[in-house]
Amino acid sequence: MSLVVKDLTHVYMPGTPYQHVALDNVSLTINDGEFAAIIGHTGSGKSTLVQHFNGLIKATSGSITVNGIDITQKDADMKQARRMVGLVFQYPEYQLFEETIYKDIAFGPRNLKLSEEEIDERVREACALVNLDFETMKEKSPFELSGGQKRRVAIAGVLAMRPDILILDEPTAGLDPRGRDEILALIEAWHKLGKTIIMVSHSMDDVAKYADHIIAFKSGRIAVEGSAQEVFMEPDKLIEIGLDVPKSVKLSHMFMEKGINTGLCYTAQQLKDSLKKILGGGMNAG
Amino acid sequence: MLGDITIGQFFPGDTVVHRVDPRVKLVLTVLYIIAVFMVRSVVGYGLLLLCVLAIARMSKVPFKYIMKGLKPILFICIFTFTLNIFFTKGENLIFEWKFIKIYKESLINAVYFALRLVFLVIGTSLLTLTTSPMALTDGLERLLKPLKKIKFPVHELSMMMSIALRFIPTLLEETDKIMKAQIARGADFESGNIFERAKAMIPLLVPLFVSAFRRADELAMAMESRCYRGDVNRTRMKTLKMEKRDYTAIALSFVVLALVIVERSVL
Amino acid sequence: MEAIIRLNEIDYNYDTSQESVAVSSVSLDIYEGEFIAVLGHNGSGKSTLAKLMNALYIPTKGKVTVCGYDTSDDDSVFDIRQRCGMVFQNPDNQMVATIVEEDIAFGLENLGIEPLEIRKRVDSVLDAVRMGKFSDTSPNMLSGGQKQRIAIAGVLAMQPKIIVLDEPTAMLDPVGRVEVIETVKKMNEQLGITIVLITHFMEEAALADRIVVMDEGRIVNIGTPREVFSKVDELKSIGLDVPMATELAHEIRSLGFDLPKDIINDEELVEAVCRLL
Repeated sequence: MSLVVKDLTHVYMPGTPYQHVALDNVSLTINDGEFAAIIGHTGSGKSTLVQHFNGLIKATSGSITVNGIDITQKDADMKQARRMVGLVFQYPEYQLFEETIYKDIAFGPRNLKLSEEEIDERVREACALVNLDFETMKEKSPFELSGGQKRRVAIAGVLAMRPDILILDEPTAGLDPRGRDEILALIEAWHKLGKTIIMVSHSMDDVAKYADHIIAFKSGRIAVEGSAQEVFMEPDKLIEIGLDVPKSVKLSHMFMEKGINTGLCYTAQQLKDSLKKILGGGMNAG
Repeated sequence: MLGDITIGQFFPGDTVVHRVDPRVKLVLTVLYIIAVFMVRSVVGYGLLLLCVLAIARMSKVPFKYIMKGLKPILFICIFTFTLNIFFTKGENLIFEWKFIKIYKESLINAVYFALRLVFLVIGTSLLTLTTSPMALTDGLERLLKPLKKIKFPVHELSMMMSIALRFIPTLLEETDKIMKAQIARGADFESGNIFERAKAMIPLLVPLFVSAFRRADELAMAMESRCYRGDVNRTRMKTLKMEKRDYTAIALSFVVLALVIVERSVL
Repeated sequence: MEAIIRLNEIDYNYDTSQESVAVSSVSLDIYEGEFIAVLGHNGSGKSTLAKLMNALYIPTKGKVTVCGYDTSDDDSVFDIRQRCGMVFQNPDNQMVATIVEEDIAFGLENLGIEPLEIRKRVDSVLDAVRMGKFSDTSPNMLSGGQKQRIAIAGVLAMQPKIIVLDEPTAMLDPVGRVEVIETVKKMNEQLGITIVLITHFMEEAALADRIVVMDEGRIVNIGTPREVFSKVDELKSIGLDVPMATELAHEIRSLGFDLPKDIINDEELVEAVCRLL
């Protein structure tokens, strides 16, 4: 299941004084099973881009092909597209509406006109995927839950559609460190189960830790693209477009300036290992 | 999908029309409405059209913008127009086919009626386009101040109005977002019969209400923390003061109104 | 020195809402000019604590004194709120007016201040938060960080002694976060305003003079950032982060190397490791 974007342009409110080019000739490919991260400042076009991926926003020009189906065609089957591509919005808990968690998660499958057994199976599966205990949770109101739990129920509602590609727009926004770590661990687990993940994020540390394909946006264009290795090995490019670099990159840079050759590390783990090695060596030598 | 709403939209500017005291503008709009209902001839409409065009020109609001406000009432216009044509009777029959009879008087009436609607909308759009919602509620609050004596909650009403105005764009944006989120889960807001469509709105309306209540709660707390206690000992940063241009505007409007009255009695 | 805010054996229970955890037996003295960060995970009671300092909540047990006024005394509510301003988490839900300058004027209008004086103060606080050119913009056109700066300006205009900020950066992007924190720092350093910053970002807490760590409605630790962050395991066990330098130092130390316990920034870590080699 690959996603191919070709020469995608999107103009907001064309022909008015408010005309604004949100996406300018964007081309990219996200392969089957990838964990891709889209980074960039607010207003750089990230959210507009991902909303194109399941047809919520119509392209002004260009094409988007999901698993061989061009969803920008007029006669494209949007329902099919939305089944393949699941989109979790920012603060998804604000879309919960049903009396019980079960019903809320079942909303998507029900719209797909599935049988009751199939719906039940999918709700159970989705609950398991977000680490919610089905039996204790199913009859509860989603409005009784804590913030982090609400978000997991909302994401379960999208997972119940069984999308091959899962897009998450800033899934950790507003969460505390524990909530953030929980959600990121879940996303990592879904990726290991074979889902293609596209995560929009502001946190360079999270991106560096999880993503294997990074796309940085600046004013509606792709400014930097590559593997985590490629993107963070040349931090100057990111800094040039006003983005941050992971803390470990900064720190390892400082070490190298002092002549401690940690190498450029883009995750805390790498830096830890590198320091251990250097210090271990130091001990042996001493 | 929710961007077409122009009624009540402010078009910022720094022209005389923008600067006239909102109280004056409100009173003049009322006078204008009275005038629209009083005129009865081409000359009268011509006079009002001239005034409206002159004000529109002075306000530097693009004509296209003013006309946009007419879109939503187009249907009502056509509806009343046809009603008037077919269902009022006159003396001079000008068209007859089977049971359909059209009289000259009813045709004229229909045209006038439609014109009145158009004039009303253009006039009030001009008011809202050239007066910020804040200034408008402010003007209204001060105009209605005397009603406080009879325990009419003037301040509370204007506070509610300005909060509503402040949150309309926020809630529209939120509606758009929730709608998209539910569409992404396969919701369908566009097909089915009326009953099905109403039911399809639940996934949109519930989250919207929940969020509106949450916002209300938080806003109330924020207002309290900034010492809000209703209309007790409250001052305003912007005081309204009548200036030369305001008196001129009033004088000119009275001239127009006088002309309309003359037109009504003469023609 | 007399404390500017004094919380004395505070209990606070909600009877209806389940959203926030209550606060129990909290005692805390905050002094004039201090920058205090209250660190805790969501639901640890830190937000409740903030609202107790502004007479938005009245303690069920114990006494809160702000600038000498008792918050449970109905007559001093407005004296307290004028002296102890508050900025909330959601930038949208604390703006009342459709124009920036009118929103800033809101608090002053409530205090019944003369129009000319309001004008003067509004203009000066707009400059203080570097938002002068947005004075007649609609809040809807602003970014999250800009909205929060307007909210700070609105509080600042009331010339408070204390500003309590309840997770002001939780909903912002990194750029907005920096804008807001820099503004807060400036208020503290240049105007001497006492700051109480509620947050779950340890990077922000690290800027404070003292950090108050909360968990399950209780204060579990108080101290300078250096003292607080040195307890890596304790913080992690209640779901909080420590600075990366502190954590790395902690790991290296656990391998048996001799690193100081109180490393909190990158420079200190690099220097300490250099010394090891």
